[in-house]
Order: sequence, then structure tokens, then C-alpha cells
Amino acid sequence: MSTDRTPKYRQEIQQMMFVSGETAEPSVETTTLIEEIVRQQVVEILARSTTLATRRGVRSISTDDLIFLIRHDKAKVSRLKTFLSWKDVRKNVKDSDDKGGADAAEFAGADDPLAGGVVAGPQDVASKPKNKRARVGLAWDVNSFYSVQVPERDDEEDEEEEEQNYATLQRLAAADERTKHMTKEEYVFWSECRQASFTYRKSKRFREWAGFGIVTESKPNDDIVDILGFLTFEIVQTLTEEALKVKEREDREKNRRGGAENDSGETKKRKRETGLFDPPEEGRTPVEPKHIREAYRKLQATPNKNIAMLLHNGRVPARMPLRLEGHVYFAGVRVDI
Amino acid sequence: MSLGHHHAWLPPGHLRPPDDHHDSRSINGYSKSFSGPRTPQMRASVDADGSHAGNLISEADMAAEEDPRIAIFRDLYRRSEAKINNLFAGQEIAEDLVGAAVADADEPDTKNERADEPAPPPVPAKKPARKLDDDDYDDYDDDDDGDAPSPPKPKPLTPSQESSAPPPLSRYTSGTTSAGGDVSKETKKESLEDIRKKLEEDKKATEEAAKRSFHTIFYTLENDRDAMLDQQRLEESERQVEAEMSSQANAGNNATSASNGYGSLSNANLGASSLTLKNLIARIDMKRTMVQASDAELRSLMSEVRKNRSKWASEDKIGQEELYEAAEKVLSELKAMTEHSSAFLTRVNKRDAPDYYTIIKHPMDLGTMTKKLKALQYKSKQEFVDDINLIWSNCFKYNTNPEHFLRKHALYMKKETEKLVPLIPEIVIRDRAEVEAEERRLQLAELDGAEESDDEPIMSSRGRKAPGKSSKKGAAPARNTPSGSEPPAGASSQPSAPARADSDVPADGTQNGFATPPPGTQTPSDPAGAAAGVSGSHGDSMEIDGLAPSTLALSALSAPGAEAEDPEYKVWKQVTKKDRALIAAERHRLFKGDKLNSDEPALLRTKAGMRRWLRNQKQVNAEGDKSNESSAQAMEPGPAGGSLAEGIEVEEDKVIPDYYDVMSGVPDLPGQLLWREDSDGNIVDASEEFLRILPKGTFTQPESKLSRKMDANMRQMQETRKICSKIGIVKQMQLQSQMYQNQFQKYQPEPFVEHDVPPHVMNDEGPVVSPWVCKAALQRSVAKIFYHTGFEEYQPSALDAVTDIASDFFQKIGETFKSYIEAPKVPTSDPTDIVSSSNQWKKAYTEPEIVLHTLNSVGIGVEDIESYIKDDVERLGTKLATVHDRLRSLLSELLRPALADGGEDGSSAFADGSEQFVGGDFAEDIDEDFFGFKELGLDKEFGLATLSVPLHLLQNRMYNAAQSQNTSSTQTVTLFPPPPPYPRITSETLPSQIGLVQAFFGAKLQASNNEGLVEDLELPPKQRPMAAKPRLPASGKILPPSAPAGPTSSPQKRPLPPTAPSQQPNAIKPGPSEPSKKKVKKNSGMALEIPGSIADGDEAAANLDGTKTTDDPTSTNMDSKDSAAEVSGGPVTKDTAMPDVTAAGEGAGSIGDATGDPNKSNDSTAPLTNGTAGVTS
Repeated sequence: MSTDRTPKYRQEIQQMMFVSGETAEPSVETTTLIEEIVRQQVVEILARSTTLATRRGVRSISTDDLIFLIRHDKAKVSRLKTFLSWKDVRKNVKDSDDKGGADAAEFAGADDPLAGGVVAGPQDVASKPKNKRARVGLAWDVNSFYSVQVPERDDEEDEEEEEQNYATLQRLAAADERTKHMTKEEYVFWSECRQASFTYRKSKRFREWAGFGIVTESKPNDDIVDILGFLTFEIVQTLTEEALKVKEREDREKNRRGGAENDSGETKKRKRETGLFDPPEEGRTPVEPKHIREAYRKLQATPNKNIAMLLHNGRVPARMPLRLEGHVYFAGVRVDI
Repeated sequence: MSLGHHHAWLPPGHLRPPDDHHDSRSINGYSKSFSGPRTPQMRASVDADGSHAGNLISEADMAAEEDPRIAIFRDLYRRSEAKINNLFAGQEIAEDLVGAAVADADEPDTKNERADEPAPPPVPAKKPARKLDDDDYDDYDDDDDGDAPSPPKPKPLTPSQESSAPPPLSRYTSGTTSAGGDVSKETKKESLEDIRKKLEEDKKATEEAAKRSFHTIFYTLENDRDAMLDQQRLEESERQVEAEMSSQANAGNNATSASNGYGSLSNANLGASSLTLKNLIARIDMKRTMVQASDAELRSLMSEVRKNRSKWASEDKIGQEELYEAAEKVLSELKAMTEHSSAFLTRVNKRDAPDYYTIIKHPMDLGTMTKKLKALQYKSKQEFVDDINLIWSNCFKYNTNPEHFLRKHALYMKKETEKLVPLIPEIVIRDRAEVEAEERRLQLAELDGAEESDDEPIMSSRGRKAPGKSSKKGAAPARNTPSGSEPPAGASSQPSAPARADSDVPADGTQNGFATPPPGTQTPSDPAGAAAGVSGSHGDSMEIDGLAPSTLALSALSAPGAEAEDPEYKVWKQVTKKDRALIAAERHRLFKGDKLNSDEPALLRTKAGMRRWLRNQKQVNAEGDKSNESSAQAMEPGPAGGSLAEGIEVEEDKVIPDYYDVMSGVPDLPGQLLWREDSDGNIVDASEEFLRILPKGTFTQPESKLSRKMDANMRQMQETRKICSKIGIVKQMQLQSQMYQNQFQKYQPEPFVEHDVPPHVMNDEGPVVSPWVCKAALQRSVAKIFYHTGFEEYQPSALDAVTDIASDFFQKIGETFKSYIEAPKVPTSDPTDIVSSSNQWKKAYTEPEIVLHTLNSVGIGVEDIESYIKDDVERLGTKLATVHDRLRSLLSELLRPALADGGEDGSSAFADGSEQFVGGDFAEDIDEDFFGFKELGLDKEFGLATLSVPLHLLQNRMYNAAQSQNTSSTQTVTLFPPPPPYPRITSETLPSQIGLVQAFFGAKLQASNNEGLVEDLELPPKQRPMAAKPRLPASGKILPPSAPAGPTSSPQKRPLPPTAPSQQPNAIKPGPSEPSKKKVKKNSGMALEIPGSIADGDEAAANLDGTKTTDDPTSTNMDSKDSAAEVSGGPVTKDTAMPDVTAAGEGAGSIGDATGDPNKSNDSTAPLTNGTAGVTS
């Protein structure tokens, strides 16, 4: 089902790969392969969150369903939460801008509790100030332990969030390092690349591509598409980084072996010491599909714990569930690359 | 003696050149050394005398010659053996064995001695194989003394022998003299008797030794199969014979002739039974004169008495029964030696050996012999013995190769034959008629010698039997030889007896070359001559065939290790062979084709078997106990002790180790379970020694930092939930217009306590095997984790599922852990460690390694655990604390006016001049005059800054609810019992009322027919007369004066707050002069209601108080005045009536709520809530 379809995201993937560290131009096969992998992952994500939603008794998936899938990856969850809350703020601001008399409207709403059918409690009275980003609560947070909604307080900083943002900061620092010596043009290109997304302003294309309506029934809301956009980027990045590592290892091995046996012409050429004035990037070859495959294989490797839990009388079940990439385990490792 | 021997023998030994060579070989045992050194000597002996004995003597010499070295080795061997035994069996047994060893050590001497004598070689050969006691040996010596004279007669001693053995020689001479003198038959028989006994003891001793070895050596079962197969073959052949015989059955049974009288009870014809009846017979013989019956009568009597007449018995043929019984026994014995006999069981097949019948003219085999036996073809012992020997000689003749295995077998069988043949009585079967005729003749001939002859036959018959029963030693013939000299004396007087004696002697001594007279000869031919003649042939054949084999046999029997087996094992094999075969066969039957054969009878324990087993065990112990007693003696107590139930089952005495008899094993009882009795016969209760109480805390969570943290988190959650429930109630009250007392479930979480199992008594150490308890404990832990993760409650099925998963996981962890622990040890790689050889091996993994490996293999790392503790426990704790704080502040915010600022009874809410109360401005803000203050002009009058009603006045319901929530915790303790209710107002009590109300009450009483007036509060709520409800418009605004003050239609009495001090009513009187008493009351009730209800939400108390206060006509107080003053902020005028009324309306609502009447407050509350919302928003 995948081979015949034409790749739709070559450019985006290329850009994402560039941001992830791949400087050379990857072949069409590579990007197609990555696209297929990403697509598979998206479909999997959608299917699973649909299952979750069904379990809740709801037809359409919510952001919680999505976030639940990656709940163990705290950094990512935190980023998503931040993203969603800011998005909310932006929307509010936009709304109020549109409306103009936002205040009045809000107050009208608050003034008419009977009409709303809800008698507002005092905590509702002290409702969210506009433009203050609201925290996105997750169903499995401590706050939801209790029957009563825990009031937000401005003064308390979420230290957890700080910690979780560490990963993001690291990544940003790495990017900063890379861009430090860029010329203006280069940087423009870079920043363009950074904006590459599967979903941004291509919502329709994405929906078709990801099989909305087939995998999941509902029309996804914006948030979900955005989250998916974020996740897809992460997937591409993880894959690329892993593939680069694979390739690097391979190259190292080749070089060493090339030193050992000088018969083949190719190795002879390679064997040549890299001179002082050799352009560093020149000899660099792009990541090939095999590297991607190897990286994917590695990322799909079932962690021991799963094996231990899934062992049935010493037999590994024939089929393991697909792992969601750019997720818990590897994300944790990936951080410091 | 032996020493002298050795010295005497040294020179020839030295002379022999290949000495060193032998030395080296002798290490292996003395067996092999024979083959080498023999040659030179043999020649000499052959030269000296071609006889068989000569050879053997020379060999015996050799053995004696070898002795010094052998003795050393043997000595060493014994010692080490004794040491080993010491190790195994403790001191006593060791001593015993050492003694035995000493006895054994003497054996070489006996051997030498006997070797010196012309005794047949097999004798020394056999001796070491059996373990002779010293006693036996001594006896033996005596016999030798008596028998000694014989050697010179048949064979001259070789010179070497003469010179080598001076001491024996001296004995010889003495023996010769004694023998030369008329040695009576008596003595000979005595000696025979002794020998028989000794031999029996010998045999017993052998068995004993074998049995003892059961406990020290474990024999594998590998030979059982062979034994079984051999046994099967034997049985098969017997069956064949049986079948063949059956056709010609009864051929041998001739008609019986009538029994005749006989002079004495010479009961040879009584056959085998004579032994069992021998005492009787002896007695009868003794008192023969007194017995009136004739011989014939006696005999028939005997034969009737006799039970076990065998199949061989024949009235016609005298001696047949005895001979055939014995012969059959010998035959079966021989056949039973399946190890060696299997080749001789059946006729040689021509296909197997085509040329056999050309070489062997007279084939013979054990099967044929059996056939012949059954056909009663043997007329005398000699015939039988000849046939047996014919088998062996045939074998030797045919298999000329000295290394041939069959020769070995034949040799062995020959030896056995020699042992067994003496068992057969020397009988020549004769027709009864003939015998009787003879007897008659004799009677006539010697009437006076009857006495002697009476004795003789009996004794001789016994003597005959004696060797037949027991004599196994080849030595016997040597001893018997003197009898050879006797015949002349005896033959004349008693033809039959001497003839038997004669034939006995040579038969026993076949080895020596004495041949028996041809079968059927009854004539007292010269035994010496006959013997010489036959011995020549026999001896020759022996020589020819048996020269090398005999040495082989010698070695095989006398020297252990000839078959690369130690003697003990050999003995064991022999002794146990049959039983093993039987057991193996049984096993074989039971497991047919590797499957349990269901048709076989079930294996059952037998009492006898178990008894035997126990006895054996006891015996082993007894051997440990009794130091110096012989094993035979030690054996005694066993059967004696075990004979309680004896006789119920037949006890077959199997000579087999216990481990063969698996069905009879009785397990050792552990000490604590044993039924023990102390000296008084009381049962010793050993329960204290092994019962123990399960230590506490096995099924509870062990105390640890983590568990404490988790517990703290859970407590925190419970606290927070408590707050949540309060908040929920508050919110609910805000939403709901009325509430029920039991509407809100109190949230009273129980603290988590892990209960341990009740005291549990266990038998012995070890974990409690109680899966359900363990599962429950795990479930509890899982539930705890659930709660810790935030679940407040869960379905049992979910809990079950997770518990199962957890147990599965932990099982995997345990298995992995175990496999790492049990990893084989690895040699220490550290070279320094090797010096100390003790710990060359170390565990494959250290403990931390084991833990880490295990964790890794189940996919958990230390980091994971750490992050769990950090994030999911510690951080959760802080998060919970934050949430708790927030919720508490939320709650306090909700309750602030009434709860946070107000005191216990809410009165301080007024006292502190609450800002809300004083400066409430919400109404101002929204420019609303809900209460109509403005319109009433109150604001101006009192200078009200705001028009708001204090929030907490409106929230008292909330407060009440909150109070009721806390009642259980803050139960107000009533110090004093409530006062009795006031009596109803009746016509009697009317005068006691104050004058003002008397008229009123009087009218009321009249209306109700002078029955007691019922207080409103005593009525059920719905029947109470209602005050007209103040109607409020939809806007919620209280209308200006146009609306009439709430008319009160009933003499409703208002409760007074309990806290309200009953004060004199003057304070209020000046103000509202106009209102009726009820109004005033209402007013005051309203005013008082707030603090009252706040202070006490308890219904009953309020009612009681209410009734009390209502009865007080002057029920107004300071509070009402105060509040009124505060509200109005000025003197009470008529204008204040309106607010009072409205307030009264509110108050009624409040009271209605407080008293649980829902109807009253419906209307009044809704606007109020609106108002509140308005205020707060």
C-alpha cells in the first residue's frame, strides 16, 4: 500500500533531516522510506488513540488520548503541554481581538449564571485572567486525583516543567551551536528548514496522507493535528539522528578495514588520509535507506522489560506491537546528542 | 607354625631364578604368580609322583612359598580394610573386623598345613573364600589329627613335603597311630557331625559376611539381569526335563512290597524323614525292648507319621528316597549356579559343535541327568556322581584350549560338585525283599549282637545323613579316608553298613582318586583296591584335563581377583544370586516393554518384609553396639524382638540387601515425630522442639524509607480528600436550596493498617506455603500502589488481574535470580589466590552483580527504580502537599466568614466587626437595593454605608452543614442533663401563667375543649401552623411598606438560642410597643436564630431550648436588641418593623432549615442565593 503512492513530503523531510544534522542531500529513496515509516507511525498513533477514545466511550479522539500514548516521555509531554497552553492563549487573544469587547462578553457570561445553568462558585469568580496561559491538565496528573478541581495558583512554578524543559533546552543549545557560525543566508535557510512541518498549513494534505477517516472516524481538531505535526517531526529527527549514528559507525568501520586491506580500489581512495585542506564535508555521503532501516530496526528493538513481561513460558510471542518512535526510551538517550 | 614354614621354605624360593619377576606380579594378587613359578616344581612333583595330589601339593607349596610376601600384602590390605570399616561402622565393628582379619590372617597357615598334608587341594582353596572362625579352624585341626593317617596310604609324601613340614609330620605319626588303632565308627561319626556343624557355621558365616557387606558396600544392579536370565534358562531346562519326563512318568515307581518286621528300627528306608524323626527313633531304639510292636509295625507307623514323604519314596526300593532327594538337591544346586552352569544345562547341540560327538563318546549334561533322575535310573550315588563328573570331564576333554572360558566354568562347577557330592548319602538302592531277606539272615546269625547292630544302623544312617546335609569341605574325604581301612572289620559283621561307609569314603574323596565301586555293588569288595583302580582312571582324567584348570580353579577360588573381582563381591554374587534373579524377574514382569504391566498383581507391602527390613536395620545398629560379640550373636536379638506377629506370614529369608526390597523399606521417622515414651510410660511430647510460631511481620510491608514515604503520601491524599469532600458539600449547598441531614456522606477515611496474619504455628522451619494468604498479601500491596497512584477505589477484577501480572513478573525475577545464583562456580583467575587451594573456586557473580544482571534481564535498571522513587514517590509527595494546601485554602476561602473568622459559635463573627459586615459594599456596587433598605430609608436612618447583608448571615446553612459534618469529631458534650420539658398549659396550670397571657391561653383552651395546649414544636412539621410567607417578586426586591408585614396566623413559638442569656425583656419593650407578643418573639427569634443555629445545629437540643424559651413570655434578650441596634444603628422605631419582619421571614427560613422543614424556606432562599451570587460577582 505504500510503494505505489507517491511521496508527498520529500521536501519537508529533507528539511527536517537537515535540521537533525544531515547535511548532505538524501536520496529520494531515503526520504520515501522515512515518509513511509512516519506514516506508519502516525497511523499507529491514530489507531491506538482511537482505541483509547473508544474505551472512554467517545468516538473522537482527544488530545489526552494522544498525550497518553507518549505519557512516559516527560520532556515531550511537557513540550506539548506548553505548546497547547500557548496555543490556547493565542487563540484567546485572537478571539478577544476579534470580538473587541471581550471583557464585556466575559463578564456577561459570568453575570448570568442562571442562564448558563451553572452557579459559579467563588473559585470560578476568580477565573482565569485573560492572556494568562492556562495549564493544560492531564487526566493522570495529581490534580485529577480529587473530585474537586484544584485551583491554579500563579505563584507556584512548576519545577517539574523546568526539569522537563531541560531536554528542549539542550536541543536548542545544540541548534544554537550549529547555527553559530552560519552566514545570514545559511541561517535563513536553516530557519526555513526548522519550520518544516507535515501539518502546518497543509492540514488537508496531512489528513489524506495519514488516513484520517480510515483509521479514525472523526474529523480531528486542530490540536490533534498540531500534536501530530510535532510528533512527526520528532520521529523524523530521531530516525535521522539514529541513522547518522549508524552511518558514522559504518564509515568508521570501513575506514579501519580499508586501512587493513588495500586491494580494492574504492578503499584505496578512501584510505587516503584526509588532508589538512580537504573540505570536511565533501566526502560526506548522504544517509542511505539501509542506514534508515538499521536505525529503525534498532529503535524498534523491544526493550527487555517488555520481553520479560511478554514471555509466555519462555517463548517470545511472534509479534510485538509496533513501538512509537521518538518516545520514552530513545528520547531519553537522544537528549545529549 | 607358619613362621617355621616360611623359614623352611625360603631356600627353595631363593633358589628359584625368576623370583623378582614373580614379585612384581604378585602384587596383583597371588593368583597369577602360580602360573609362572609352577613349572620347575611341577616337574619335580611329577617326577616324584605322577599323581594329581603331587601336583597339587607342589602348588600348595608354591602358595606357601609365596606366603611371606603375600602375607605382608594381605596384612596391609586387612589393616586398611579395617580402617575403612572403622570409618564406616564405628569402633566396635572395626574391632570385630580386625578380629576377623586376624582370623583370616591365620588362614594361610591352615592352608599351608593342609597343603602339607595330602589333603585335596580344593580344601585350602576354599578356605579363604569363606571366612572361617578360629574355632572352626581348631576343630578342623582335631579332625586332621584323627584323619591324618590316611595320606601315607594312598600316596607317599614327596620328599620336599616331608622335609618342609616337620610339625605336621609329627601329627601324622600320632594320627597314624590313632588311626592305626581301631578308630571306632562312633568317633568318626562324631567328627563328621562336628564337621557338619562347622560347615554349616561356615556357610552361615559366609552369608553373614555377605550380609554385613550389604551395609558397607553398595552393589549395583547391573548383574541382576544376567542372574535373571541364567535363572530363566535354568527353569527352562527344568521344564523341558519335566515335559520329557511326564511321558515316561511313574516308570520308576514299582509296586510296593509289604513291609516286614525288622530287628531294629534301622530306618534307612524311612528316608529323609528320619532326620526329623531322629529323636523319636533314637528313643524307640533305646527302649526297643519295651516296645511291644514289631519292627514292621513300627515302620508302618513311622511311615504314616511321616508327613513329607517325597515323590521319590518307594516302599519297594530301600534307600531310593534318600538318595534321590539328595541327588536332586545337588543337581538343582548345581543348576542353580547359573553363572557357570548354563552351558551344561542342556545337551550339546551338534550344530554348535559338529565334532563334539566324535570326541565325546558319552555326552552328559545336567538336563539329561535330571531326566535320568526322574526316570529313577540311578541305582546308587556313585552312578550319579559319575555322571556329574562326566559332564566336567567331557568339557575338559573337548575344550582342550586351557584358556577356554568353558573350562573355567567347568572347573568352577567341578569344585562345586566336590563340595556338594558329600551331601549325597552313600546309598545303593536295593529291593526291599532282598534287604529283608538279608536282615532275616542277619538276625539269625547274630542274635546276641543285636544290640550293637541296632545302634549301628541308626547311627550310620545318621552318619550318612550328616555329610549329606552339611559337609561341604573337600577336606572331609581326607578325614574319611581312615574308614578305608575299616571295611574288613565292619564288612564281616555288617555287610550293608560298611558297604555304605566304604562307598561313602571314596565318593567323598573322589578327588583323591578313590573311586566308588561300580553302582549296584553290594559286595564288600576291597575298597582300597577298588579305590585305587578307579582313582587311577579318575585321577588321570583329572590330571590330563584338570592340570592347568585345577590351578586355575585354585586361583579362582583361593585367590581373589582372579576374575578381576574382589572376593567379597564374588561371595555376594553367589550368595544373592538366586534372590536377585527372582527379584529381577519380578521387575521384568512388572515392566513389560518399558511399560507398567497392568495385569501384574499390585506390589504390596508385607509384614514379613518390613519386619525383615527392620531387623536388618536393627542388626546394623546392633553391630555397632556390640563390640565383641560375633555377628551371629548380634543377629540373635533381631528375630527375637521381631517375633511378635510372627507366624502370620511366612517369613522367607532372603539373602539380599535391603535396597533390593524397596517395598519393605520403612522410612526413618524424624525425631520429633517418633512415638517415644519415657521411663514411666508417658508419652514424650516433642512438639515444643519443632513447633514454632511464625515470626511477626511476614505478611506485612517491611518498614523502610520508601514505604514510609508512600504511607505519608497516602495519608496526605486522604487528608486532601477529606477537604475535597467538604468543598463538595459547600458547593452542593450553594447549589441546592435544601439539604437533608444524611444527604452528605461523611468522608471519614480509615487510616491504612496492614494486619498481619494471626499467630500461626508452624511445623519446622521454612516458608509458609499458603498461596491464598500470600496472594492476598500481594493484592494488598498492589492495592496500596494503586491508591498511591491516585485510584481511590478499584474493581476486584482489576486488582486481581494486576496482582496476577505482578506475581508473574516477580516469579520471573525470582527465576532469573535463582539461575544467576546457581551459576556454576568459576575458577579464580587471580593468580595469588591459587596459592591457597582451598578457595580456588568462587561464585560466578557477586551479589550486586546478580542483582544488576537480574534487573537488566527483566528490563529494569537502577535508574528506572531511582526515577520511580524520585518522580513517582517523592515528587508526588510534594505535589500532593501543594494540592492539599491549595484545596485547604480554597475551603477556608469558601467558609471564611462563617468559619475562618467566626468562633465556635459564630458570635465572634460579630464581635470582630467583620469588614464585610460593616463595610459590605456589593449592593452599592451594583446599585441594587435588594432588601429595600434604601426605600425604607434605613440607610439614611442608620447611616448605613452599604446596603448589603452580611454574607455570613446567609451562609449559616452552609455552616450548619459543615458543623454537622464535624459533629462526630467535635461532639459537644452536654455537661448537664437537659431540663424536663415544661408541662402543657392546661386549665390547671393556667393560673400560674402571667396575667397578660392568661386570657389568651384561656381562650385557646376553650377552643380546644380544655385539653392541654399542644406546642407547635411538638407537632409534626407539616401540621404546624404556618406563618404567612412573605412573597417576594421575581426581581427579588422587597417591596416597600405596601407589602404587609408577615401576618402571623398562629401562635408560633420560636426557639430561643441556648446561648441566649435569658434577659429581662425591658430592652425590647420600649422599642416595638405595637407588635404582638408573637411578633416580638419572632423578632427576637430571628435575631437570635443566627447565633443559635450556628452554635448548635443539633435538632433536639434546639427544640428543647425552643420550648423552654417559648414558655418564657419574656423571651427577649440582649442579642436581639443588639442585632437590631446594629442593623438599625439607632433606636427602634416603628419603621424598623419592616426590616424586622423581613428579617423575620429570613429567620423563619433559617429556622425551617434548622429544624429540617423544607417547605418554609423555599421561596426565601432562592432570591437570597441570587443575591449572594450577585454580591460575590
